[in-house]
Amino acid sequence: MTAEAQSTQAFSHSGKFFDVLGLALKNALLSILSLTLYRFWARTSMRRRVWSRVWIMGDSLEYTGKAGELFRGFLIALPTFFLPAVFVFYIAPFALSRSAAGWLLFGFYVVSVPLVSAARYWMRRYQLSRTRWRGIKLGLAGSGWSFAFASSGWTVLQILSLGWFTPAARINRARLLWSNARFGDQAFEFIDDGESPQKGMWWPFALGWFAFPLAYFISLLAVFFGYAVTIGGGPMPSPSDSPVLFVLLALGALVLMFLLMVFFWAPYNAAAMNRIASLISLDGARFRLRAKTFSLFLVNIAGILIWVFSLGFLAPLAGFLQVRYIIARLEIIGAPRFAEIGQSIAEAPRAGESLGEAFDLDMGVGVI
Amino acid sequence: MDARYADGRAAVTASVICELGADSLTFIAHSGQQTWPYADLARADDGNRSIVLRLKRDTGERLSLDWESRAELCTAAPQLFRARAQGVESLRTLGLVVAAAWSLAIAFIVGIPMAAGPIANLVPARYRAQIALISWSQIDAIAQVCHDSDDGQKILDDLAQRLMAGANVPQREEVWVSILSTPTLLYPNAFALPDNSIVVTDDLIAMAQHPDELAGVIAHEIAHIEHNHVMKNIIRSIGAGIFFDIVFGGAGAGQAIAIATVNLASLRFSREDEADADARGLQYLAAAKIDAAGFAQLFHRMETLAKALGGDEVPLLLSSHPASAARARAAEAQAGRGLAPSLSDRDWRILRQACGGDPEPTQSE
Repeated sequence: MTAEAQSTQAFSHSGKFFDVLGLALKNALLSILSLTLYRFWARTSMRRRVWSRVWIMGDSLEYTGKAGELFRGFLIALPTFFLPAVFVFYIAPFALSRSAAGWLLFGFYVVSVPLVSAARYWMRRYQLSRTRWRGIKLGLAGSGWSFAFASSGWTVLQILSLGWFTPAARINRARLLWSNARFGDQAFEFIDDGESPQKGMWWPFALGWFAFPLAYFISLLAVFFGYAVTIGGGPMPSPSDSPVLFVLLALGALVLMFLLMVFFWAPYNAAAMNRIASLISLDGARFRLRAKTFSLFLVNIAGILIWVFSLGFLAPLAGFLQVRYIIARLEIIGAPRFAEIGQSIAEAPRAGESLGEAFDLDMGVGVI
Repeated sequence: MDARYADGRAAVTASVICELGADSLTFIAHSGQQTWPYADLARADDGNRSIVLRLKRDTGERLSLDWESRAELCTAAPQLFRARAQGVESLRTLGLVVAAAWSLAIAFIVGIPMAAGPIANLVPARYRAQIALISWSQIDAIAQVCHDSDDGQKILDDLAQRLMAGANVPQREEVWVSILSTPTLLYPNAFALPDNSIVVTDDLIAMAQHPDELAGVIAHEIAHIEHNHVMKNIIRSIGAGIFFDIVFGGAGAGQAIAIATVNLASLRFSREDEADADARGLQYLAAAKIDAAGFAQLFHRMETLAKALGGDEVPLLLSSHPASAARARAAEAQAGRGLAPSLSDRDWRILRQACGGDPEPTQSE
């Protein structure tokens, strides 16, 4: 029997857009009323809503995190992150010499790069440790700092290679994250399937890499075409003659360029997501994700529009669309021996997502 | 009723028959009979059209009931269908969160302006000099000090000393005046910096038609220095920045709204300082026997310029001096008549030539 024949649609998402919108609106209102301090409760209720609509083989996921834990994490971040940041940004420029303050700021940013990665890792650890299926906890082993330093090294390589190391870096990060992920006492594996880990990612990446000049020229052409159609022939007026027209044209060009950029990167993102899913294994069972360029583009654009037009207040709705998109296209090949998978004995973090909160690393839903 | 039970030790479920009693539910699991008192139960399903029960002290065990059985369960254990049982926070928690947020905000709105003065007075001279260096670097980016105007600068220095001498300003040994040229924009302004220097732009000198007008401006800026308004403003801005970065940080639009609020608040505070500096400046003028009518005249001129520019106020970058009729009236109320001009004709002509200016005032008013 082939792997194709064994695949089953074991995953589904029963979340309804307007149901999530209602909760997001309520959370946004309470966030405004509480000058955003309600965000810990908002985030928790939204995760509970989105998690509980994920169905795997007839049972739903469950989010067990508490808002108080997130709030405690925030209180921990106050002295450990915010106070040093306050010194670097507000006090050092006045208290130290200009060069010393400059070096301190530079050092702060250098430290922040691995710190953001570590924060992302710890955030994922917290969220997985607060996720259960059939009462069994998920988890994330490994060291956040190891991930952070490795990830920073890959970031340096990405910069040195003018971005061309990105597909390899993405796979490397996924390998570290997934090989440390746990379902109960069963580790996920990030397998070697005998082919290049970046299989199918390079050509879409090249398209994305050239997206900027491509999008730039297409936008420019579209603006000239639009201008010619609107104004017709004749001499070109200067911006001071018709400023509104020029502002509209510039705005239109920027929007078009942005849409094209998102569109040109969609094939790479879809290919990377599909490839990563195909390399994840749980007790011999494999996964398949069927992300497609156009659908992923639409989900991304919808998310961006929601974010922009709600001034960020409805960002969880964008996160929900992404989760639903992935879950609806995820399949499992084979079946893990669930009866053999026991409860996790790993100690879960007690505080929430202190640094993740400080860096504002998720979209109000979770790390996907 | 039919149910599925997960024992929290393996990722499998077993079908069980569940009996609903008066105070508890029971079912037979492979490990034997289980009795779960309703009082110990919580919901784990968030209303996803299934009912999943767990023990409040979470053992990992789950009991999944059909959605259709909710009426029966609701009759037996109505508390499991209250919002609180499904993780929704209580009104008390909500009230506490809102109250805490607004308490912090009020503490900020009241506390930071109150603390700004005492903190500003504690800032060592070294830090003030450092801040001034930053200010000067920002000034250098948009303007240049007129190095060919030493005579004009000395005339303004002497004028400043004369104003301070009569009013016994503690910082009088440290105050010095610079003349600045802003070649690319019309920028009639003067402002004080944390190093107790006063900057006057060539556009302001060009706009003034009488030396007393400039004397009023210099007096106003000296008052800012004497009352430490510059450092107070900086402390207020830093306080606001820290407060919103920490408490409301990472909140997207909420942060933007908060920052907008801070800007409005700081504008109001700085206007209070402006009124304070106006009042104290008029005292300097009176002590130095300089006619305050010149100061009033300058306000009128600023207002006219603002209207000509199409706004309510002259666009100012580094200091807020809203030209207003009320401030002009306050200055006029203290105007003395028959006093000699604050500068001689010769000094006034030299000053007006600073930064390559015209020695004769433009008779536009």
